[in-house]
Amino acid sequence: MTADCHFGRQSSSRVGAWCARCHTKLNPAVAQLPDNQYYCYACIQMGRMDTLHRLVTVAEPNQFAKIVKPMSWQGQLTNLQQQCADQVVKIFDQRQRHLLWAVTGAGKTEMLFPAIAWAVSQGLRVGIASPRVDVCIELFPRIKAAFEQVSCILLHGKADQPYQYCQITVCTTHQLLRFYHAFDVMVIDEVDVFPFAGNQMLHFAVQNAIKPGGGILYLTATPDEALMRQIRQKKLSVSYLPIRYHGFLLPTVKIIKSRHLKQKIDQKQLPQSVLRMIIKLLQQRQRFLLFVPRIKDLTLVSEALNRAAITGRFLTVYSADPKRIEKVAAMRDQTVDFLITTTILERGVTFPGIDVIVLKADDEIFSASALVQIAGRVGRNSARPTGRVLFYCERRTKTIRSCDNQIRQMNRKATRLK
Amino acid sequence: MLLCQAPLSTALTLEKIFSFQKVRPPRACAKCLSQFKPLLDCQTCRVCGRRAVDLSDDTCLDCHKWRQQFPYPFVNQALFEYNAAMKDFMKQYKFLGDYRLRAVFNQLVTARLKQSGRLIVTVPIHPNTFEERGFNQVLGLCEGVQTVSCLKTCQITKHTRQSEKDRAARLQTAQPFEFVEPAGSLIRGKAIIIVDDVYTTGTTIRHAASLLYQAGANSVTGLTLAR
Repeated sequence: MTADCHFGRQSSSRVGAWCARCHTKLNPAVAQLPDNQYYCYACIQMGRMDTLHRLVTVAEPNQFAKIVKPMSWQGQLTNLQQQCADQVVKIFDQRQRHLLWAVTGAGKTEMLFPAIAWAVSQGLRVGIASPRVDVCIELFPRIKAAFEQVSCILLHGKADQPYQYCQITVCTTHQLLRFYHAFDVMVIDEVDVFPFAGNQMLHFAVQNAIKPGGGILYLTATPDEALMRQIRQKKLSVSYLPIRYHGFLLPTVKIIKSRHLKQKIDQKQLPQSVLRMIIKLLQQRQRFLLFVPRIKDLTLVSEALNRAAITGRFLTVYSADPKRIEKVAAMRDQTVDFLITTTILERGVTFPGIDVIVLKADDEIFSASALVQIAGRVGRNSARPTGRVLFYCERRTKTIRSCDNQIRQMNRKATRLK
Repeated sequence: MLLCQAPLSTALTLEKIFSFQKVRPPRACAKCLSQFKPLLDCQTCRVCGRRAVDLSDDTCLDCHKWRQQFPYPFVNQALFEYNAAMKDFMKQYKFLGDYRLRAVFNQLVTARLKQSGRLIVTVPIHPNTFEERGFNQVLGLCEGVQTVSCLKTCQITKHTRQSEKDRAARLQTAQPFEFVEPAGSLIRGKAIIIVDDVYTTGTTIRHAASLLYQAGANSVTGLTLAR
């Protein structure tokens, strides 16, 4: 772990400063403190780096007790999962950069287990990082349970556990800034998501945290343009897993055009078609998520539902919601029939057997990958491998079409495999 | 935007373009700024500037006590309530050390100071704190106006921060400042305004005020960002 900081200064006449920890090129006018000192405003949330301190790094000792059979997980992988898992072992062994493009609900985490087990048995240090803290929090207990004998730690901004040197580190991509040439192999889950996508600082953090020549496995169901470009330029190898662990195809999207949808919602009203669908789902005791693009839509839609005298129990949830965790738990415990949510529940969460409705799917907030992820919340359970994915919109936008195409393309690939 | 990292957007209107004035982009978005509760346009304690609870009395209970304990005339004006948002701001600005954040309130503070027409004295911070933090948070808020540094903290090493003590301990704090002698001629007979970041019990700012009165100041008032 690094303790403090030092800054580099360019020797040329152009005064420049960059942070030794996060490598952000700083605007000197902004970064300047009195007395000609500088600090880094980019990574300040992790404790301030400034010219008053020096950055110290500790050489990676890789001192781990030999564990012959580290995996305590007893589960069984499907044939296709096993193939992918074997491939991941190979990637780790040869220290490659690789993207595993697996559809939502493919069972990505389980596929990692054999490779992690291999790495641990080789005495390697493993890092598993994701841009989203929720993903890390959900991932950690599964990793810990699967590798009971191995030392594991979870690191994120709000964690209160003190740091400990462990063989498996699960952390947010921000926390990687605290590591220097530490990991032999790394997994980056949900690479295409904010804040990681297009963030130079976090990409630097990954490169800096991994040992030179270490292996990286990127995981996502919806690679973004930057990753696709690297694949085309042969800088990144890729493999697909187009089929879910239970072998069923992805639920396809039903696009329903609804006139004046935005205007109606702004007036605290919902179209009859939407209301009828909600009533129908409630009568069938079918639980669902109702996605809206913006936080302000949450109250508008819930008031519209109250006006229409909808009897179902529901809650609204958004990222900065102080009761966010409790509300999601209420949905899990089935004490509510549905949640009205922003895109925060688009990925990394599983509610068995739900349907999803997206209102204003044509809003620019919903990217194609967000829509694919939202659709991917449905049919994840082998007990109910199908379900409804309903997009209500005024126009069939490019992003909606792209989402529909991506799902169909994956399904075509999956049918070929069958 | 400085406080919430939301992307900054300023609508450039025709009116703004033809005013031929420098465009000053806002430093924080309206949503974040609305979390701070201004005290200037509401009824406050006449002495310390906190929001009035008992509207029939223009002086709060704490300040009635101060009247008996403090021999000099002193009133303080506070710009904002010390609420959760302001505590959070202070945490980011002072303790995390994000010096950029001075810009959020700088214009407001300097405008007030200019308006007062008084000689501006800032409450000093301990040299150790300065070394650690790299800046004086009060001077940051006053950046752009002429201030007089005629106070410094005593040479004793600092054991605990003022913000780490409870009320009783704070009220008993011995004079933490000393007057820098050469500044005596600057202070004598002048009307002075002391600036600090937060007024909590009023001990710190009164210690500073009494030194200025002893140095011959004519009248001393206070301005704090929060109360």
